[in-house]
Amino acid sequence: MIQDIAPYIALIGIRKAYRIGGEMMPIFSGLDLTIPRGDFVAVMGPSGSGKSTLLNMLAGIDRPDAGTLSIGTSRLDQMGEAARSAWRAHNMGIVFQFYNLLPMLNAAENVELPLLLKPLSRKERRLRVERVLDLVGLSGWEKQYPAMMSGGQQQRIGIARAIVSDPGLLLCDEPTGDLDRKSADEVLDMLRFLNRELEKTIVMVTHDPQAALYARRTLHLDKGDFVEEKRAA
Amino acid sequence: MPIFASTHRRQALVMIRTNLSSLPRRFAISASMALSVALVVCVLAGFLSMAKGFERALNGAGSHSIAVVLGGGTNQETGSDIPASVIRTLDAMTGDMGVVRDAGGKLVSSREIVVPVDVRQRTLALRGMDAIGPSIRDGITLSAGRVFAPGAREIVVGDRLAGEFGLGMGDTVRLGAVDWTVAGHFSARGSAFESELWADLDAVRAAFDRQGQVQSLKLRLTDPASLNRLQEFLSTITETPLVAVSEADLYAAQSGRTGSLIRLFGWPIALLMAVGATAGALNTMMSSVADRTVEIATVRALGFSRLSAFLGTWIEAVVLASAGVVLGLFASWLAFNGWQASTIGANNTRMAFQLAVTRDILLTTGLLGLAIGILGGALPALAATRLPLTTALRARG
Repeated sequence: MIQDIAPYIALIGIRKAYRIGGEMMPIFSGLDLTIPRGDFVAVMGPSGSGKSTLLNMLAGIDRPDAGTLSIGTSRLDQMGEAARSAWRAHNMGIVFQFYNLLPMLNAAENVELPLLLKPLSRKERRLRVERVLDLVGLSGWEKQYPAMMSGGQQQRIGIARAIVSDPGLLLCDEPTGDLDRKSADEVLDMLRFLNRELEKTIVMVTHDPQAALYARRTLHLDKGDFVEEKRAA
Repeated sequence: MPIFASTHRRQALVMIRTNLSSLPRRFAISASMALSVALVVCVLAGFLSMAKGFERALNGAGSHSIAVVLGGGTNQETGSDIPASVIRTLDAMTGDMGVVRDAGGKLVSSREIVVPVDVRQRTLALRGMDAIGPSIRDGITLSAGRVFAPGAREIVVGDRLAGEFGLGMGDTVRLGAVDWTVAGHFSARGSAFESELWADLDAVRAAFDRQGQVQSLKLRLTDPASLNRLQEFLSTITETPLVAVSEADLYAAQSGRTGSLIRLFGWPIALLMAVGATAGALNTMMSSVADRTVEIATVRALGFSRLSAFLGTWIEAVVLASAGVVLGLFASWLAFNGWQASTIGANNTRMAFQLAVTRDILLTTGLLGLAIGILGGALPALAATRLPLTTALRARG
């Protein structure tokens, strides 16, 4: 696969601080990061290093206090809440550590959720749901509810939901943190497949060094800055 | 724009569906909210149906074609007194007084008094009247037997009292110091008349030592508009102040006062309960939002709008309140509609009436119940839109 040279994700001089107990606690004090289109980046680091804040900003859930944050042609740092919400609906998918499936919806309905934000007919939505469920190996599980599935299956439904609207960017927050090794490897194999074969750009926060091996490169965050970068062999 | 609208509609529908589907998880608190709304609806419906039933009984008792002449400066039968000389003067008056006369030119009138009597430890109204009294009234039909005979100690009993007190035809009942025989039953379409016992005027006056007393004079008007003409004639009599009111207005004034009194108690109690129920709704919906923090934040993280999160929670509150409204209205209908009640009416006597849960009452109480859901759900719905989305990324679903 050929990666674009121009960065797809660019963070320049990002500053972010939280008020904790009346005092401002800086998380990032000028963070820079570029990720080309089609990359698969694992972000590791100890608790409090800023991994979640980074992911939240990339997802448009949180906004930097200062600096430039662009993804594709969009400047997330300049968007309001509603615009970032709409941007999320059309440009990215999120895979959560605890799957975050809606328990009262079945597998197909959970996967269909992001498509409800798009002007698609019922038939088009059904076809897309069938296609991604087939892709994650859960064809025939459409009517099953999350409570009846294993953790690995639920996470595959979570991945299907993240990719059903065909976004360019996948953000994964500890996607294997709640899974056994075998299920974790299945999920990671799937992420690698999505990156290599479907050219999704993936940013994955993880504590698991084994998981990080699936990425093209691993960034280590500590105290709000990248301290190390490893590239996969 | 249609695509935008349909996208928002779909988002809202998904949120509503997920909220409603998760209701069983919060069954107890959701049911308590619906029940508190139902209770408010029941209480208000109870008071309003009482007021309405009372009004119906009294309004049905009056006719605009009957004039009631009262003396002594009062506009109620209680305290009214018309001296016999005044009645003789009235009988002697000629000219068009606006009242009906018989073939011989005499006024078609009924002299009446009302005496409170105790029957089985309850106070009822015994009305003494001239023989023409029953027929001068509108809407009266004999449902059994006959009217009282002139001078006889006989009574005609309203259907409502006859049923409640078991006063069958031919029964004797002691009123005051003497026994009276039930000669007939009459129907007055459920109006206040049915709470009265009717007897011959002279017999009543003799039994209760009220010789010569007349409290009111009933006259049939040639048409409702001629009441003013009658009043003009009455004003020429200077012996005692006389006032003519239509029978309908006389009873409406009585019902207005008591109806207002019932509402005066009913509304504040219902509104106080409504405040409590609104607080309950607020609590329930706050709990609902807390229970679905992860779900709301997840769909918001996927790109769902704040509006959909707001609508989902708000409509859940309205649905629960609606369930309470339906339950409350149904229970009110079963419990109150047609229920026999009684109160102290005119002359300090007992007046029976039937509670009436009308369409207006259903609408009023239903709207109050819905208002509880709308107001009680609004704040939690707003809270749902302000949930920090970061919780979705780390919360265990």
